[in-house]
Amino acid sequence: MLTVEPEAIHPSLWRAAQLARGSSRTLPPGDSSLAAELPGGGWPLGSLFEMLVQQPGIGELSLLRPALLRTPNRPIALIAPPHTPQVHAFSNWGIATERLMWIQAQRTADVLWATEQLLRAGTCSAVLLWQQHVRNDALRRLNLAAQSGEAFFCLVRPLACARDASPAPLRIAVAPADGGVELTFVKRRGPQRDTPLFVPISPSPILIHRHAVPVDLPTPATPVPRSLPAELVH
Amino acid sequence: MYAATPLAAAAGVRTNMRRGGVQTIAPHTLLLERSPAKETEALRRVAIALLQFSPNVIEGEEESILIEVSTSLRLFGGLRRLRSRIRATARTMGFSADIGCARTAQAAWLHARAGGGASLKIERFARRLDRLSVALLPSARPIEEWLDNLGCRTLGQLRRLPRAGLQRRCGKAINEALDCALGEAPEVFDWLEAPPTFSARVELPDRIEHAEATLAYGQGLIAQLVGWLVSHHLAVTRLHFVLEHERGREAIPPTTIDIALAEPTWSDGHLVRLLRERLARTEIAAHMIAVRLEVGDVQPLAPPSETLFPEPGGTPEDHARVMEVLAARLGAENILRPEPVPDYRPEVANTWVPAVGKPTKSVPLPQMPRPTWLLDKPIALLMRDHRPYYGSPLRIVSPPERLESGWWDGELQTRDYYVAQGSDHSFYWIYQERLVSRDGDETRWYLHGLFG
Repeated sequence: MLTVEPEAIHPSLWRAAQLARGSSRTLPPGDSSLAAELPGGGWPLGSLFEMLVQQPGIGELSLLRPALLRTPNRPIALIAPPHTPQVHAFSNWGIATERLMWIQAQRTADVLWATEQLLRAGTCSAVLLWQQHVRNDALRRLNLAAQSGEAFFCLVRPLACARDASPAPLRIAVAPADGGVELTFVKRRGPQRDTPLFVPISPSPILIHRHAVPVDLPTPATPVPRSLPAELVH
Repeated sequence: MYAATPLAAAAGVRTNMRRGGVQTIAPHTLLLERSPAKETEALRRVAIALLQFSPNVIEGEEESILIEVSTSLRLFGGLRRLRSRIRATARTMGFSADIGCARTAQAAWLHARAGGGASLKIERFARRLDRLSVALLPSARPIEEWLDNLGCRTLGQLRRLPRAGLQRRCGKAINEALDCALGEAPEVFDWLEAPPTFSARVELPDRIEHAEATLAYGQGLIAQLVGWLVSHHLAVTRLHFVLEHERGREAIPPTTIDIALAEPTWSDGHLVRLLRERLARTEIAAHMIAVRLEVGDVQPLAPPSETLFPEPGGTPEDHARVMEVLAARLGAENILRPEPVPDYRPEVANTWVPAVGKPTKSVPLPQMPRPTWLLDKPIALLMRDHRPYYGSPLRIVSPPERLESGWWDGELQTRDYYVAQGSDHSFYWIYQERLVSRDGDETRWYLHGLFG
């Protein structure tokens, strides 16, 4: 009978039935039921975190919104996103627009290189990368680069990649659900969980209340003097 | 024969051989004429590069450079580190160096000529000096044979000769040199002044086809630039790296790579990284024969004040440097930052511009409910049972948001935006064109955004 608790020997040890709590560097996910299921009680910092989605636009960024709001006030890099990011959505979420940075590149090698440079420099508080096919050695490189800093690094990949091996310590599949998203833990440092976890998303994408139609919308940005076209100013 | 490569030395070529002798021993040896003008120029280039370690640098006798480092030791972390940095700088410029360190310039010079070494105390140097050959001292060389006949082969034996007699027979030079080396006579130098403007050019040893291959020469030029910048207390903000082409049937204008920096810099690491990425992207028209480095804009040097507790994540200047490296490889048009425009049309309002230079402080945007992703081109939706269809029938879950804008620039939009939900609970931002329906056509629905 083992009398010594493994976690008392070293913080990196844990029983198969427990969640790992070795890493103290986590971001709170903004939902208590989700925090209870994540090793260390939050999204990992300074390590590769893989999010597997069927298609873009199912609430994957809304899921990360509370975490992004808690990151230090440094740039957030969006690398090779699937569509044009909309500034007003991020601004509406409370993320300062000057923190946003959109990096695109034609070749996969350039995308991965740019990501690695940003992670190694460690000047961004969050790096979000969208990629279809990444080779395993490239993932390993990115994981190492992420470990050199304190940034929140999330790689969004198609759901089909769930079958491939990956060095990421945390891999989560995201599926849309009524009023939120359902998370399936593909890989985590802790016991296997087979049933998906429902996480509510707020604010709901149903943006305007059904019974309160705004009549007069504000302009999408404050006009600066002399910035309006001459046709409009008489 | 003055110098030989290791390969030639392995074939039996030795210094002080005649041309005919070399050709007999190793007929495939490539013999190059010694060019004193080029040697002087190269020595001057290295001397300027070494100005980054000390303001007191001067070219010495016989391809040597004297640096007074007593005031630089603490800044560069001690003698050992300073020596390895000086050696690395010389290697970057394509030269190898024997480095001697001692209390006096003449002593350091003798150490370097004897193959390198250091003796930081005069007494220790005096012991070392006694074992060195008389041939090392330039003033003793003309009378070397005479001294040899006397049985005087080391500098120690030379020092034991009667001082007055030696001065009478051989002049003052030998005694003066030994006195200077032992710190018994003062040494006065007229230190090197860096030229007021900077333009450095280096000829390539062969015609080069790939721009990337010139990086090694560029590194040498940048080392020289850093020495020049430090000696003038300047930081550079704009550089021109010029690739000169071979003159064929008609002259080809040189290719110029402009490197503009957001933050003024005076360190070589960042400049070399930028140059590497820019050279990798450069296509050249013809063979190159020379590279030149010119300075565009400079600013007075303003060293950053260090914080007691460094910020995790680095300073904004660190971030600007990473951005520059990214822009150098990916192109500035691929590094974007938001610049919202006051307009109701989502495509116009959501404008991204190249992130050049420092980010402008943005004003907080009004609370506009919008999806995270905007499609570049709206997708026309199929209609099934009078409902828009995208993968599954879409159910409209929000009241319309009516936009009618853009009549002044010919891009009139009359749209009603809705949030719709598919059968898998994912949300879509769709709109209905209103003007089309007036003509009696069927109303057209488009998908314009996704809720990430």
